[in-house]
Amino acid sequence: MISRIIKEGFRGVGRHWAMSLYSAIAVTITLLIISLFLMFSANVRRFTQNVEQSVQIYAGIDYDYESPEKMADIKKEILAISGVSKVTYYSKEEELEYWLDSFDDEAIKEIYAPDDEYNPMHAAFYIETEEGARIQPVAEAVGKIEGIDKVNYGGESTLSLVHAMASVRRGGLFIVIALSLLAIFLIQNTIQLTIMAREDEIKIMQYVGANNRFIRMPFLMEGIIIGVMGAILPIIVTIWSYMYLYSLTGGILLSSMFRMVQPMPFVLYVSGILLVTGMLVGLVGSFLSVTKRLRVRR
Amino acid sequence: MIECTHVYKRYKKGTNALYDINIKVEQGEFVYIIGPTGSGKSTLIKLLDGEEVPTKGTIKVVGIDVGKLKRRQIPIYRRNIGVVFQDYRLLPTKTVFENISYALEVINMRKSQVQKRTEEVMEVVGLKEKGNAFPNELSGGQQQRVAIARAIANRPKVLIADEPTGNLDPAKSDDIMYLLEKINREYGTTILMVTHDLTLVNKHRKRTVLLDHGHINADLAEGGYVQHDQ
Repeated sequence: MISRIIKEGFRGVGRHWAMSLYSAIAVTITLLIISLFLMFSANVRRFTQNVEQSVQIYAGIDYDYESPEKMADIKKEILAISGVSKVTYYSKEEELEYWLDSFDDEAIKEIYAPDDEYNPMHAAFYIETEEGARIQPVAEAVGKIEGIDKVNYGGESTLSLVHAMASVRRGGLFIVIALSLLAIFLIQNTIQLTIMAREDEIKIMQYVGANNRFIRMPFLMEGIIIGVMGAILPIIVTIWSYMYLYSLTGGILLSSMFRMVQPMPFVLYVSGILLVTGMLVGLVGSFLSVTKRLRVRR
Repeated sequence: MIECTHVYKRYKKGTNALYDINIKVEQGEFVYIIGPTGSGKSTLIKLLDGEEVPTKGTIKVVGIDVGKLKRRQIPIYRRNIGVVFQDYRLLPTKTVFENISYALEVINMRKSQVQKRTEEVMEVVGLKEKGNAFPNELSGGQQQRVAIARAIANRPKVLIADEPTGNLDPAKSDDIMYLLEKINREYGTTILMVTHDLTLVNKHRKRTVLLDHGHINADLAEGGYVQHDQ
């Protein structure tokens, strides 16, 4: 039974090769676009995560609250804020050292280094949040804690970058879904064309006593085969182009913050998605169009 | 085998096609249905193969009430009858062998048996060496033979032939008739043949039912064409 379906499916593709090729090309084009968006959105996702992870909230401690007990209380209060994932303490000395280290020129370091025991820096907590979107509310809550002198989180520009990336990500997903639907519609139409040409064939099959399942199965197989055929080129293009781009850029775009997703096994995942999408689209497309023609007229 | 009792058919458009049709065909009979265009011959065939439902009355074929069948049951019912059409209706993308074996695969016959039976009926219709040809490579007469082979492949008790010689020249028509007679004689298949080829009807005499304007005008056991005032 199954061998008949597979055999008939391949035979159908072979004997209507022009129509099959036409449908397969429709699949190929949509899968290429889907592949492009998959690669794009996966990388944007990775960039966003990188950016979000590197954004921290700086909370400087007031000079009057530098005793260990008071600072322990402040830390407790910060940790109690929802969305906070990590709090790291830096002492006044560490802060000063960090600040001085930011100058390359030894002479300038000399000028700024305080000559007596006086240290103008604040001790500070560096706070990381669970997700980028929580930065602003967490920063506001931290600012209200008694003993916090100053809160800083890189400002609006960081936030808007995070927001922009999130919406690019959402938009990418939406486009992928919309394209898949478009692909099904396209394939349904092409397969419908091939089936309209074969309406008589289906009628004859019904005349000799074939039930709907018997007629439908080989057509579904044909749809799957067409889907697979259509997926071959996009898979090759995906693997080759992503590998090429990765090796060309060394995996880094513009700055170390924009690090690309490793090609292995990422391209294999994308290929898998393309193959399954192609098969599903072919299956659904031929199912929709063959079922329409199967109703026995009475 | 075939029993029509008070069958009426009226199409939705309002045209009446058949009035009070009563026909009884016994097993092994060979019956012609003749009549001019528009006399209701095609409607009768459609009622018999389940394509149309009678407005009134019952049609029983091999004991099955055809009018009461649900849509899904039609393909299964059609396995009991073989149908041959004027335009052959072969699957153009399948070879002669595949066209015939398809009708057997449909009833889930085992593969080895399909092979055997297909070769058998190809022999019966005299196309043993044409198995790998496609329908468009055959003459009309040959295509009709394939259609007949397909129709009798699963040994139906009833064979319905709708103008089987309609597209063929007289010599080829004769050949088809001999073939149908052979099937009727050797396998005891009940044959109902719709035709308007009067030469054939007069040459191969059989029980003849004359349809006119949806009425049965005559049912002659001895056959031959009835002259009547037009």
